[in-house]
Amino acid sequence: MASSPDDLKARLHGLLSEFQAKIERAHTEQELRKVFADYGGSQGAIRVAQKDALKEAPNAEKKAIGQLSNAVVAEVERALEGRLAALHEAERRRDLERTVDVSLPGRVRRLGHLHPTTLVRREIEQIFAQLGFTVAEGPQIETDFHNFEALAMPKDHPARDMQDTFYIEGEPELVLRTHTSPVQIRTMLSGPPPIRIIAPGPVYRKDDDPTHSPMFNQVEGLCVDEGITFADLKGVLLHFAKRFFGEEWGVRLRPSFFPFTEPSAEIDFTCAFCAGSGCRTCKGSGWIEIGGAGMVDPEVFAHVGYDPERYTGFAFGWGLDRMAMLRYHIDDIKLFFDGDVRFARQFK
Amino acid sequence: MKISRRWLTELVETPLSGGELAKLLTMAGLEVEAVTPVGNFSGVVAAEVRGRRPHPQANKLTLVDVFDGQKVTQVVCGAPNVPEPGAIVLWAPPGAKLPDGRALEPKEIRGIVSPGMLCAEDELGLGTSHEGILVLSEKDGLAPGDNAAEKLGLPDEILEVNVTPNRPDCLGHLGVAREIAALTGAELRLPPVPPMHLEGSASATVRLEDPEGCPRYSALVLDNLTVGPSPLAVRLRLQALGVRAISNVVDATNLVLLERGQPLHAFDLDKLAGHTIVIRRARAGEKIATLDGQERTLTDEDVAICDEAHPVAVAGVMGGSSSEVSASTRRVLLESAYFSPARVRRTARRLGLHTEASHRFERGVDPEGVLDAARACADWMQRLSGARLAGAPIDLYPKRIEPVRLALRASRTRALLGLELPAARQAEILSALGLEVDPAGETIHVLVPTRRPDLTREVDLIEEIARVHGFDSVPATVPPLRRAPGVSPPPASLKADRARDALRGLGFDELSTYAFVPPAHLAALGYPESDRRARPIRLQNPIREEQSAMRTSLAVGLLSALASNLLRGEGELRLFEVGEIFLRRDGAPADTPAEERRQLAGVMSGHREGWLKPGEPLDLFDAKGVVVELLSALGHVADFEPSREPWLHPGVQARVSILGREVGRLGEVHPDLRAKLGIEARAFAFELDLDALGAAPPLRLAELPRFPAVTRDLSFFIAAEVSAGAIRAAIDRARDPLCVEVKVLEDYREPGRVPAGKKGMLWSFTYRAPDRTLTDAEVQSAHERLLAALKSALELELR
Repeated sequence: MASSPDDLKARLHGLLSEFQAKIERAHTEQELRKVFADYGGSQGAIRVAQKDALKEAPNAEKKAIGQLSNAVVAEVERALEGRLAALHEAERRRDLERTVDVSLPGRVRRLGHLHPTTLVRREIEQIFAQLGFTVAEGPQIETDFHNFEALAMPKDHPARDMQDTFYIEGEPELVLRTHTSPVQIRTMLSGPPPIRIIAPGPVYRKDDDPTHSPMFNQVEGLCVDEGITFADLKGVLLHFAKRFFGEEWGVRLRPSFFPFTEPSAEIDFTCAFCAGSGCRTCKGSGWIEIGGAGMVDPEVFAHVGYDPERYTGFAFGWGLDRMAMLRYHIDDIKLFFDGDVRFARQFK
Repeated sequence: MKISRRWLTELVETPLSGGELAKLLTMAGLEVEAVTPVGNFSGVVAAEVRGRRPHPQANKLTLVDVFDGQKVTQVVCGAPNVPEPGAIVLWAPPGAKLPDGRALEPKEIRGIVSPGMLCAEDELGLGTSHEGILVLSEKDGLAPGDNAAEKLGLPDEILEVNVTPNRPDCLGHLGVAREIAALTGAELRLPPVPPMHLEGSASATVRLEDPEGCPRYSALVLDNLTVGPSPLAVRLRLQALGVRAISNVVDATNLVLLERGQPLHAFDLDKLAGHTIVIRRARAGEKIATLDGQERTLTDEDVAICDEAHPVAVAGVMGGSSSEVSASTRRVLLESAYFSPARVRRTARRLGLHTEASHRFERGVDPEGVLDAARACADWMQRLSGARLAGAPIDLYPKRIEPVRLALRASRTRALLGLELPAARQAEILSALGLEVDPAGETIHVLVPTRRPDLTREVDLIEEIARVHGFDSVPATVPPLRRAPGVSPPPASLKADRARDALRGLGFDELSTYAFVPPAHLAALGYPESDRRARPIRLQNPIREEQSAMRTSLAVGLLSALASNLLRGEGELRLFEVGEIFLRRDGAPADTPAEERRQLAGVMSGHREGWLKPGEPLDLFDAKGVVVELLSALGHVADFEPSREPWLHPGVQARVSILGREVGRLGEVHPDLRAKLGIEARAFAFELDLDALGAAPPLRLAELPRFPAVTRDLSFFIAAEVSAGAIRAAIDRARDPLCVEVKVLEDYREPGRVPAGKKGMLWSFTYRAPDRTLTDAEVQSAHERLLAALKSALELELR
């Protein structure tokens, strides 16, 4: 069968039209690519036609046949590209038409919650870390010596009445610590000054009424060195109050009595409920009693073998839970230990 | 301690109001907790009842004619106790003002106009009684027309002072007045003790046989008493100060107690066998009936006040009923003593008796004030009951308690307080407090009166100076930064906080539960007696049985919390706690009395998180996933093996160990325990011993992979009882270093999909070389070697 470039041309144009018609009917990229392979691929109809033509064509025509075929393939490719782009554009448009009901709930990986005492303890630890105080810990079942004797509260001291004590069955010398102060003793017994610690942790008093919990948390501070003064105590507490509550907050020290400090003071902070203007919680005074403080009593130094002429120090302590109560306006300490998740889950 | 402002002003001149005094005292260490007005009325007069008859329109009302010294007026009265003519009542005529702010006006009551009213106690703010109008006797000293407020020492304000245990001197008005004098510079007006002359003739013998328990004992013998009620003014004052008026004799002792802080006791002399008082150690087992009607058994630690035969008082604590003053008492022996604070405290504590007397003796009364107090009391008795001094005063004081001499370095005050305060000012403050001061330049010599047992050292004087000068005037400084030992937070605390953060991220809520738990809950865990967890440390004096055992398991408190939250309808619970458990040392000596281990426990119940519908119910692998992730946050990889924890489901639990060391456990809570704790829903729990978790290996960056990985899967059947852990172990023994990751993808056991007794598994293996892209051939060869090794090690049937 004789063939000429003209025949080939007609055949290729026929194929091109067929191709164009088919890609119009193809609606996915996969179909398109299939159609392209059938016509413009290396085994496609165009190359088959080219091969057929080349078989019979004289050498002089072979170049023109090649050029002709390549041009048609190029056209097929262009058509493919155009069609692909249109297809992509249509897909993009369709995709952009999607909507959701954003008011439906999110798919949550729920975060848990930390206990308010944990939150407050960490904050306090950080504030005192800035002043060089490290965290110390001690046991909760304590000896009478660490909890009382070494803190200048011998057996018949009336000050023991200030702290109703739980005793351990069968062990008259063991108590549940009534305060974190025994950590002072353990720390001082473990080495010489300088000492700067804070000691957070649970303490126990045999007290169970609407405003007291038999277990609660305290934080104790102790700073012992040469030249430590009552003014330093005041400054450190003031720094704390301002960092913890805010710049406008103040501290008031009020003379009081603790066997293990001399002078001793009650610590009052500006009332967190009324910012000092006077309210029911602070009985109109603008101040809230937070805890106790003072200069370490020389008798305590005697128990731990420190020279009271060389070293002076201050100590302070307060309720951690009470701090959380002030911070979060909680009015019932029992909630801290009730295990109620409706309470726990409020501390985001 | 309740303090009357009016009484104070009799002892020290001060223009300050109750509120101002409260602030002054509070800032000086005597915290005033409340100021309460008493008898805040005016215009009320004493009036004599002249006649009474029923109200014609109302049978509960009475028409009373009262005489105010000038004229007789008819008043309508609703009280049931309108007295006979001749009695004195308190009449609030029109114009009078009552404490509640009411000003009286004439008022028509059932057709008859009443000019004011006759007053009951509560209407005058004197007490709570509204049983009837106040009826006065002649002895109350009010005559018709007298201004009632003036005669009764009203109005007054009562200051509720919180006296710290170191200040027994402030357990009386005089001590508080002395403070005010020191703080304001006003002069103290010491109440005079008028001399008494020996008039009657009666005698008593006093023998002091326990001078250690009673360093000083004074006694006055008084006769010619007529026991009866004290005048209204005295009764009202006592009542306002929280002391019940009993009789003129007892009231006299209480007035002195409230003034000087010295407890006194009046014995009916004629009820003392042999008219004798012996102060001695009680004999063990000796009995006494005390004034509160109880029979008390004494020990030889107690100081007993005895007559010739028996104890008649527990020294410093409470008198005995056998020698109690009664209406017929004519003669008394009045005791004023200084008892050993420690001995009184021990006795009071042992007897569980806390009295006004023991409260003061425990803290220390003024040994030098003992006799003056007795004299002051005798003076009151004379005035109230006609008593006469019948015998020479007895005062046994074998070894005088000397005032303390101290030397204060003014420079030490400055160094301790961080406050510039000249020696002269320091001396001035001490002197104002009534201390004898002898300044010698920078050293101040001080003689401390015996009423201040709290001042025994230089530092005690420094506190006085700071307190009176004012803590407010001390500057606020910050100590220079010094390198002190320790790190913050310490590793143990850091570990616990990391664990908290990890669990929070995993959706757990942190709880804090009591460290003392119900013993029954610990027993319900089912540990054998040989296990220390079955033998908790117990409290000697728990508040209640359910808070009597120190927890040996942290899970116990959480499971209780789980139960109560479930009961409240909370279905989705993931709870944790970090805290200590307490184990007996069983004799092993150590630094701390008990072995306290910091642990972490978690419980969970409910479903996985679903979206718009509940997720699948939780199972053991949810708990295991939490533990794995938590340990990974702490830098550890753990092994899980079957275990036998009695409180967990026998087939659904695992021991958690790290490098062969047990660090915890996890599992499904045993259905029996759930039943005991009232937990209906299936629950899972884990416990980790944070103290047993060693330090994590230091975190070091692993080089990021630079070449691609190739994954091969392996699907097979294997005997159902061969655990994934055993298969994993076989894989780990056989695998080529190029195999960098192994994962289980499927474990299926449905009959029909697997041959009987078998399970189907799908594992995936990831191959990668650190230095090149692996060829197919390399991967194929490594994987085939692995396969061959597995086939020889395990009976698996490839699919």
